[in-house]
Amino acid sequence: MSSAAARPFPGELIRGLRSVAEPRSSFVSFRRLSVVSFPLAFQWFSWPKSRSPLRPVRSQQPQQQQQQQEEAVDLAILPQGLREIISLFQSVSDPKAKYQQLLHYGGRLPPLDPRYKTDEHRVRGCVSQVWVRAFPDPGDPAAVRFEADSDSALTKGLAALLVLGLSGAPAPAIARIPPEFVHLLGLRQSLTPSRNNGFLNMLKLMQLKALQLYAQGGGDPATNSASGEEIASSDGSVGSVITEVPVGREANSGVNGNRVDHRPALTSIQEVSEVNLDAVDDISPAPTGGSGGRAARIRERLQRELLPLELELEDISYQHAGHAGVRGSSDGETHYNLRIVSKEFEGKTLVKRHRLVYDLLQEELQTGLHALSIVAKTPSEVGMK
Amino acid sequence: MGFVRNIPSTSTHHSLSDLVFPLVSQRLPHRRSLNTSPRAGRGRQPLSAFASSTSSSTASSSPSLSSSQERTGSPSLGDLVRPDFPILHQDVNDFKLVYLDNAATSQKPFAVLKSLSEYYETYNSNVHRGIHYLSSKATDAYEQARVKVAAFVNASEPREIVFTRNATEAINLVAYSWGLSNIKSGDEIILSVAEHHSAIVPWQFVAQKTGAVLKFVELTTEEVPDIKQLKGLISNKTKIVVVHHVSNALGSLLPVDEIAHWAHAVGAKILVDACQSVPHMAVDVQELDADFLVASSHKMCGPTGVGFLYGKISLLSAMPPFLGGGEMIADVFEDYSTYAEPPSRFEAGTPAIGETIGLGAAIDYLSTVGMQRIHDYEKELASYLYDRLKAVPKVHIYGPAPTSTVHRAPLCSFNVENIHPTDIATLLDEQHGVAIRSGHHCAQLLHRRLGISSSARASLHFYNTKEEVDVFIEALKDTISFFSSYL
Repeated sequence: MSSAAARPFPGELIRGLRSVAEPRSSFVSFRRLSVVSFPLAFQWFSWPKSRSPLRPVRSQQPQQQQQQQEEAVDLAILPQGLREIISLFQSVSDPKAKYQQLLHYGGRLPPLDPRYKTDEHRVRGCVSQVWVRAFPDPGDPAAVRFEADSDSALTKGLAALLVLGLSGAPAPAIARIPPEFVHLLGLRQSLTPSRNNGFLNMLKLMQLKALQLYAQGGGDPATNSASGEEIASSDGSVGSVITEVPVGREANSGVNGNRVDHRPALTSIQEVSEVNLDAVDDISPAPTGGSGGRAARIRERLQRELLPLELELEDISYQHAGHAGVRGSSDGETHYNLRIVSKEFEGKTLVKRHRLVYDLLQEELQTGLHALSIVAKTPSEVGMK
Repeated sequence: MGFVRNIPSTSTHHSLSDLVFPLVSQRLPHRRSLNTSPRAGRGRQPLSAFASSTSSSTASSSPSLSSSQERTGSPSLGDLVRPDFPILHQDVNDFKLVYLDNAATSQKPFAVLKSLSEYYETYNSNVHRGIHYLSSKATDAYEQARVKVAAFVNASEPREIVFTRNATEAINLVAYSWGLSNIKSGDEIILSVAEHHSAIVPWQFVAQKTGAVLKFVELTTEEVPDIKQLKGLISNKTKIVVVHHVSNALGSLLPVDEIAHWAHAVGAKILVDACQSVPHMAVDVQELDADFLVASSHKMCGPTGVGFLYGKISLLSAMPPFLGGGEMIADVFEDYSTYAEPPSRFEAGTPAIGETIGLGAAIDYLSTVGMQRIHDYEKELASYLYDRLKAVPKVHIYGPAPTSTVHRAPLCSFNVENIHPTDIATLLDEQHGVAIRSGHHCAQLLHRRLGISSSARASLHFYNTKEEVDVFIEALKDTISFFSSYL
């Protein structure tokens, strides 16, 4: 699905970073520290004698390829939590014990709040169901925290590994993590990009969500999230995830028309909330096709709870008919554009505004509402009293 | 009737004569493949490799194994044919491969591999077009394959066999060609909820384009499609009934000949998805009175890239083309063209020549072994698999329970309480070298009806053995206890 051209990112970035990389020997001393600080008690097997710390265990790849992989992953760019996990796995040679470790991680993961088990948080390409959620660290706005869940124990273990390894790191660091790190764990894991590669898609979704948070800015509503749109519409290549976030650019959606043109300071912000490898770029306005049911319910709910001064809801399901996410809902009512102006949004960051809307529409989200593209403004932002 | 499909088992097929080597060395393959002798396995507990497991099932493994030794003095069909399939003799993840994913695709015997290389090495040439020696040799072999397929399913003539890319394409051919010109708004198409996606989605296209209605036959409490309900759904609005012969998930067999009878009584056609039956038993399209029947080569020991549609010649002759291009035309002008007669009318472009000839070689091989013999052996395997799997605690098998009259195909879709099938399949592969499948097996409707999102599936073919089933079961028990101790 991803072309070869979509793959250069890890290599390019890593090559760029190698010039400032820490010498590898520092990793050995680091590992001793990490043993002490690691929260999970673990039964130690015999300390590896003369092993290179980076050699994947029980790999069946030829020596050459192994070396390439060792060289390819620069540990310095990995978040601390992840490095600790890698060292833990490398100290264990028995594959069965590695799986036990994975299951341990999974067991530690708290269940995800059901309201986050929506398509927006679902990882594509897993036979099991996997959800991932990113949110800013309450104690450190620059850091991202994750939550995840899965109905498959091994996938939950992998998800937990990523949650533990990535949480607390800033978004750009998270985005730079090369998928190849998984080889260091000694787990058999394919990295071929495909719609069926659950692990790869899990990592990418987490990176994507981290960057979306970053783009929306910890508390800065003026930051343009147009890059979020680009990211969401990429074909899943990690390369596009690292795109520089342009600030101050007008992202004009057709729904707004020319409403906000006279307000250059506050750009229109549009979050494409559906993360889908097949996402459609341009959402142009179209005659409303929504039938009574869902559109009316959404309007009613929002009217009641937010007392909006403006409310525009547009059913654009027809644009998504036929793509993977709409399977099973052939009668539309799956994708909407929403523009809403309400006093309730005053004092709230973009993330909080969107969360407010989602919380009100939970029922819809769980019964086939696939994605909601939200423009949420306060009256003063659109020039009203 | 024509072609003799079943050659008596005293055949002198050269690969079968390999049975001369001692029984013992064949019987218990050494599970964990280190660099020791591969035949040292006789007295060893196959689970010695799982030392770190807390499974208490090691003790119970030996009775079933020794009983399989005592069972019969002669090698099984699986033992006899295994040497013909080179891919089976390898290690994956440091364990001997146990391949139990045959419903997804089957393995190929040397005879088929040889015919492929022989084609490409000595007479590869485009068919039907050339005059020169290589071309006529290729054309002869290609058309000979058509004759073989026709005989294999007892079509009344070779023209009734259309080669396609696979069964999915064959169903699409019928949907687009026959369906769009014979079905109109208000007509009904009958399917079962257990159909493979390839038998459902093309008919959804037809329904969307024509305004026809899809009607689905539900499952009974025994988890089989409800035949009574099917009979009741057939009316004079029905234009076509699309059903599987053998279910790739439930392992059940449908009485296709009866269903065809009911369909024909109201003037409707029947399309039989025989992907899981043609490889495993003798299928006679005239006996079934099928209007259309589809199968894929890769599931019947043939190469990928080729499948076939059987259609009654009267139907095919009246159908418009599906794909346009070379070979399917008679004369081409600027604004229109005239079309060839079937089967050429539906074979546009250069076909998978080598692969089709390979399919012919697969049919030769299967016929030499004998479809009746294959079917009888697989019935035994099916019961053995079902019985052993049923006895594992917390396992639920989908589909009907076998009775003395109702047999299951040698496959079981199952779930283990509280353990995700993907977890099961992953560890079976990683820790035991056992290959099964987990997912929805291209049958999402079925899974939804059963109330599950996915299942694990083990499916056998005539080169599998009861010993392999034993390995699978022990590996499954080990895997279950591994997860149970952490959940």
